[in-house]
Amino acid sequence: MTERENLRETLLKEIARCRACRFCVDVCPTYQASIGVETLSAFGRLQAMGYLLRRKLKFDDSLTYALYSCLQCRRCEVVCKSKGQNLDICTLIELGRALLSEPLAEGKDRERI
Amino acid sequence: MGMDLKRLHKDLAKIAGEAHVFTDKPTSLVYAKDVMPYDVEEHNMPYAVVRPAGSREISRILRYANEKGIPVHIHGSGTSLVGLARPKTNCIVLDMGRMTDIQIFPERGYFEVEPGLHVAKVRKALARHRAMLPVFPGSELVATIGGAVSVNTSAHAVDAALGKPGDYVLGLEVVLPTGEIIETGTESPRRPAGIEPTKFLIGSEGLFCVLTKLRMRLIPQPEMENIVAYYGETDHILETVMEMYRQGVPTPLFFEFLDEKSARAGFDAVGLGEPAGAVAMMCIHSWSKAGCQEKAESFLEFLQVGRPLQSKIVKDTQEWNKIWSSRAEAGNYIYRLGSTFGSEITPRVDKLKDAYHDAKDAILNLKSYQNPDFYSFGHIGAPTIHAYAFIPSKDISNEVKKAVVQEVREVTEEINVKYGGCGGEWGLTAQRVSFLKKRYEAPYFQLLLNLKRALDPNNILNRGNLEGWV
Repeated sequence: MTERENLRETLLKEIARCRACRFCVDVCPTYQASIGVETLSAFGRLQAMGYLLRRKLKFDDSLTYALYSCLQCRRCEVVCKSKGQNLDICTLIELGRALLSEPLAEGKDRERI
Repeated sequence: MGMDLKRLHKDLAKIAGEAHVFTDKPTSLVYAKDVMPYDVEEHNMPYAVVRPAGSREISRILRYANEKGIPVHIHGSGTSLVGLARPKTNCIVLDMGRMTDIQIFPERGYFEVEPGLHVAKVRKALARHRAMLPVFPGSELVATIGGAVSVNTSAHAVDAALGKPGDYVLGLEVVLPTGEIIETGTESPRRPAGIEPTKFLIGSEGLFCVLTKLRMRLIPQPEMENIVAYYGETDHILETVMEMYRQGVPTPLFFEFLDEKSARAGFDAVGLGEPAGAVAMMCIHSWSKAGCQEKAESFLEFLQVGRPLQSKIVKDTQEWNKIWSSRAEAGNYIYRLGSTFGSEITPRVDKLKDAYHDAKDAILNLKSYQNPDFYSFGHIGAPTIHAYAFIPSKDISNEVKKAVVQEVREVTEEINVKYGGCGGEWGLTAQRVSFLKKRYEAPYFQLLLNLKRALDPNNILNRGNLEGWV
């Protein structure tokens, strides 16, 4: 298994731990700033990334925006630790960005990112 | 999907504004995903998510949907445990997240709130007026007040102590499936007697209308005393609950329990020593301190009927917070460490013990997954049995997850049917339609279909939930 495949597997395994309780949604500053768009919350980002990695979604501008609008403030992680699954959400999003941006930057799936 | 998404986007943007309409796939996916442990499929994906500002926009969206024949799925916060939140068909999702206004009128004895406000925020706003919100879901940080009243769930509270939130709804503003905006009920603290639509619309699970404003009575915040009781075994707690109803003892506002395994997990998580067996925790409420103290002492005396190893009124807030949160922590534990499949059984109270043991046997003998663990905790005094099948792995296939969900549902439905229960917390459509059909005769379900057809001739709202589609 290549390093990329390993990373993909790790991410999928971690994202599968999210039980979709949505407790992290309300504390996310980008969710608040958007007056409640769930795609712009930790829950939304994790779900979208999971389906993308399983090739059930395609990378598009809206997904790029969702992933890259995360401020990495880690408020979601505090809630996830106390109420949910204790996921390192921001790290997962960061790893996801790295994994997904590499082929994009090379122009494999889309021309721009 | 055969839908002109650009056209749909443009049409919806004319109604709600460009910033509040989404037709991209990631957003559709996120709004389709719910707590159900299996994947969103293509037929669940919304065409569009629209976030209206009020009833007029909702009215226009519904008229448009009727004209075009597009189903509309109402989204509160997506926390339903019985599949209400997942669209059953490609549709327009109506996200209520922008409708969060609340106005409190102490001089009128009520407050008015829009449906999208999270329960915890409603509670916080009411606390400033020393008022209590009669809704206690575990998901209150994100669950919406509109969702709670749409299901008419008090969640963790004991119905016999406080009733349902619908008992405190004085009136509603709703948009009917065909787009008409109507106001129901009263501004008086006295609820209307006789035929009045409010009571038919409360708990209608988004099948008969979209709730756009709720008017609810202000309930004075009661005094509370907390009790913990430790038991050698769960059976003694079940016998206590049965005896409480048999003797007509005034019920606590909350009567929670942890079975032996859940108690070990929950107490360990909050840093309390391992309990000897099962644990029960109760919150006694009354409108005066003296009354509350007397009621708590009296209840403590009654509890001796179940032979607890130890029981006491807990005065220390820190100690109580640990004990109380052990219940939530038990839930976190099983959800964190594996795949968990829950159920809701609300038996006739004199059959509580039989129903509990039937549930345990059924979970331990599942066919779709061999040898799962059995956990149970929750609002046993309500009475509700939450029987959980726990598989200590997240790494199981989508097909197995679906099969276990279905089997747990089927076997626990049988127990509800056998012991005369119906459910008291999670709503009765979507995944539970098969239960309704088993529990009642055909004319009952036909009545529901007729009501739906009368109000929603094109079956626009929450299509598939009453049909029981997965």
